Amino acid sequence: MNNHELKTRREFLRTGLLGGSLSWTLPAFLSRTMQTLHAQADGALIQGVTGRDGNILVVLQLAGGNDGLNTVIPTGNDEYRKARPTLGLTDSSILRIDPATGLHPSLSGLASAYQDGHLAIVQGVGYPNPNRSHFRSTEIWATAVDSDKSSTTGWIGRYFDNACSGCDASVGIATASQLPQSFAAATPKGVLYQGGGGTKKKTSKKKGSNLSDSDASMMSMDEDDAGDAGGSIGMLNGPGNLGKMSALDFLERTEMDAKVSQQEIANASAKAKNTVPFPSSRLGQNFAMVSRLIAGGMPTRIYYLSLGGFDTHTQQAGAHERLLKEMGDAVSAFLADLKAQGNLGRVTLMTFSEFGRRVKENASGGTDHGAAAPLFLAGGGVKAGLLGQMPSLAPKDLFDGDVKYNTDFRSVYATVLEKHLGVKSEPILKKDFPTINVYG
Amino acid sequence: MLSTLTASDWDRNKAGILLQRAGFSGTPEEVDALASLSPTEAADFLLGPAKFLPPDPPAFLQESSMEEALKSERVKFNSLSDSAKADAKKEVAQYLRANQGRQMTELRGWWLKQMAEPARAAREKLTLFLHGHFATSFEKVRSPHLLYQQNSLFREKGYGMWSDLVLGVAQDPAMLLYLDGAKSRAEAPNENFARELFELFTLGEGNYTEKDIQESARAFTGWGIGAEKGKKGGLQRGSYPSFKNVPKWHDSGSKTIFGETGNFDGSDVVRLALAQAAAPRWIAQKLWRFYAGWPAPEPLLQELVKEWQALKGQIRPFLMAMWTNPNFYDPIRAADRVKSPTEWLVGLCRQLGRPLPAPVLSSHALSLLGQNLFEPPNVKGWDGGIAWINTSSISRRYEYGSWLVDGTQGLQKLSTLNMAKMAGESGLLKMSLPEISPEGVVIPHGIKDMDPVEKQAATEKMRETLSLPPAPVAGIATSEERQSAEKLLASLSSRFLFGETIPEDLRARFQQAAGDKIPFTDAAVRKMILAIVQSPLYQVT
Repeated sequence: MNNHELKTRREFLRTGLLGGSLSWTLPAFLSRTMQTLHAQADGALIQGVTGRDGNILVVLQLAGGNDGLNTVIPTGNDEYRKARPTLGLTDSSILRIDPATGLHPSLSGLASAYQDGHLAIVQGVGYPNPNRSHFRSTEIWATAVDSDKSSTTGWIGRYFDNACSGCDASVGIATASQLPQSFAAATPKGVLYQGGGGTKKKTSKKKGSNLSDSDASMMSMDEDDAGDAGGSIGMLNGPGNLGKMSALDFLERTEMDAKVSQQEIANASAKAKNTVPFPSSRLGQNFAMVSRLIAGGMPTRIYYLSLGGFDTHTQQAGAHERLLKEMGDAVSAFLADLKAQGNLGRVTLMTFSEFGRRVKENASGGTDHGAAAPLFLAGGGVKAGLLGQMPSLAPKDLFDGDVKYNTDFRSVYATVLEKHLGVKSEPILKKDFPTINVYG
Repeated sequence: MLSTLTASDWDRNKAGILLQRAGFSGTPEEVDALASLSPTEAADFLLGPAKFLPPDPPAFLQESSMEEALKSERVKFNSLSDSAKADAKKEVAQYLRANQGRQMTELRGWWLKQMAEPARAAREKLTLFLHGHFATSFEKVRSPHLLYQQNSLFREKGYGMWSDLVLGVAQDPAMLLYLDGAKSRAEAPNENFARELFELFTLGEGNYTEKDIQESARAFTGWGIGAEKGKKGGLQRGSYPSFKNVPKWHDSGSKTIFGETGNFDGSDVVRLALAQAAAPRWIAQKLWRFYAGWPAPEPLLQELVKEWQALKGQIRPFLMAMWTNPNFYDPIRAADRVKSPTEWLVGLCRQLGRPLPAPVLSSHALSLLGQNLFEPPNVKGWDGGIAWINTSSISRRYEYGSWLVDGTQGLQKLSTLNMAKMAGESGLLKMSLPEISPEGVVIPHGIKDMDPVEKQAATEKMRETLSLPPAPVAGIATSEERQSAEKLLASLSSRFLFGETIPEDLRARFQQAAGDKIPFTDAAVRKMILAIVQSPLYQVT
């Protein structure tokens, strides 16, 4: 444990825990720590990376394998029409962003971010020798190693280890039921925050109704959860990594992190309000919360959100439309709120999904697991544009029916690490990947 | 082959660990009883008879199916105007979903009750393992009835042959819906089930090719469910479907799977997969990790595999072999097994000698602790181990621990819960079907249309049902044990921690929690219990 960590913990201990605001008894780990703390000198500086005005990366995972081909759509493309006789979107329905490309009609929020100059689309992102298992491919994206290698740490965890070894656990916040595998680190960090505490995906009131609050939440129980398709993949996380700790050490550490971060988060979120309305979907509310934490001055560098349900093997059309709308609306409210706060320039949002889907639709009105797909980068520092290439859909150019990648996802990671978070990417990604031209 | 503990190696500590891992913990008397047997007898006793004695099913199974309930309205429905039809559809859909939610709460409560039965605990623990292994979620299946059927399959076949179980799952209606087998046809087979069968259920990643998946998906075509389907292809208004083999959906061409060629069907795929060398390794490791809490390293895993093969994949004797193996009690790994939320909740109630909280409260708590039964996060189930623990879940474990030990102080600790919502989910507030008046007007009966007085009464009733009194500790500590903190801790740790070694600083913390007023009152005893429950040590074993 170094001085930076001691400083924030000590501050907390003095003001928070022992003040009796928390009902827990003093854990053994803490009482040991206390003695060490008293023996330490005061005055350590918080290192730059934990500062309250540093840049922030927000990662949005689209779990289940988002159909990239129906997210960013090639126009006037015969191969597309042939492969997608029922699922294909017509040229007239899509939101055109350049002569050859358009966005799914329910992504109007993202289309306007593109017009405003805050959205970049990286096409054909993937990796060599793609794996079509949800779990293995998620692990490959999380650990950022070659698809035939494995690693016990994740790329975000290695960023923590390299750049913020002295930070509190709240340097990474995930709104999920479990820490993402990409957070696994030699020194584990990361806090889970579940704002609403509900178990349902949506808690929206019906428009124009005059229901009382309790009625409205009764209704939420009744709402359609889009469970018809894509339901076998809700959340995707990997198993945790203990490093050299025992489960018991890990428990003690987590207990401590919980106490420290709860106080921090409560303080930060009490300070700030959202300036724009957010959608009432679970994702919308999670983005609203992240936006408040950013406005409230949390020193968090990485926020991690997740939207599940993209495993659309059957009856894809309606389900995919709802999911993209939920994503697009939430992201566009988030960007608007950040802009009003004056924080848009500090933030980059990056989406990813473990794979795209098969070019040819199947007989159940859905698509099977595929390979490369586009991803979105959004934020004040991002240069609007289409990067990479729309992969060819001609059967001769496909591999096992899937599009081939032309941009390695680790080039995208390298870009946000170097150009946005301001750290060397090679020690984190274990290799040099060329950056792409996303930042102005 | 696995070595077996001798009677002289067997002690109360190991008996306590076994009761925790093989079942859902229990009282000190139960631990003593196990300790007095030989290790093999203890394992056999916990497992109970190999012959299956089915529990009484949950009450909602007696309710008439939606199809019957809707039949009488159908004629009237058809005579409605288009806009009234749309209204009626909306009302009916809302009614169906509210009903499903209520039935799921009942199903969860029913299962937890089976787990808390000492004589059923081991079989229920295995059922919980199988639910996580063959993960299937209400979120997609949408039928409480079919999920109950699948749960019963695990309970009934769990002690038998692994191959029978895998085949049963491949033909299980909930699974056929969850992994899209029900919609797979010869013209365009759906790969979802075939992939997860190999990757998650039987072999593990890297032990099959994409080609094996594609060919197996063809072989599985024809296995579907036979019941009338609703408009959306779902089940909501059908009678309950069952497995059906439909030859005209089947691709009867030749397939090559794991190097063998033939006109294979689904049973052949299961047979071929289980014949792979990776198959026994996969299931032996998963069972070991679930029960022991850590992955078996190479030499041990090889012994487990040999045992599995010698037993020809019979699960009950394999569990006995694991539970009587010395490595299962390796003291170095003792603190490496994190209790799952379900084990934690049921076990704590058993140890405290208190009934489980109302089903709606138990479900709510488990969901926020990360284990919403019948809704695993994805087809891989729950990762388990330290993945149960994060800053949010540990705070909640401590909070819910205080509900169970100290009670909820009326509703003070439950003030954030939505009583009306819970009243709906627990069936205190019941929706009825919308009616169609003779004039052709839809009369809705949703919660929002209910009489406010009726709603108020149900909410009040819900409050009463949810509030938990403090745990009854009068019988937990004798007057002798209340004479000193040391004696009290000795007694409580043998109940809650099976006499495991407690580090010195933790010991001091537990003892201080009871205060210094001798003899200790019930309240002081509860304070020490709470200190134990709210410690990292209580979360493992």
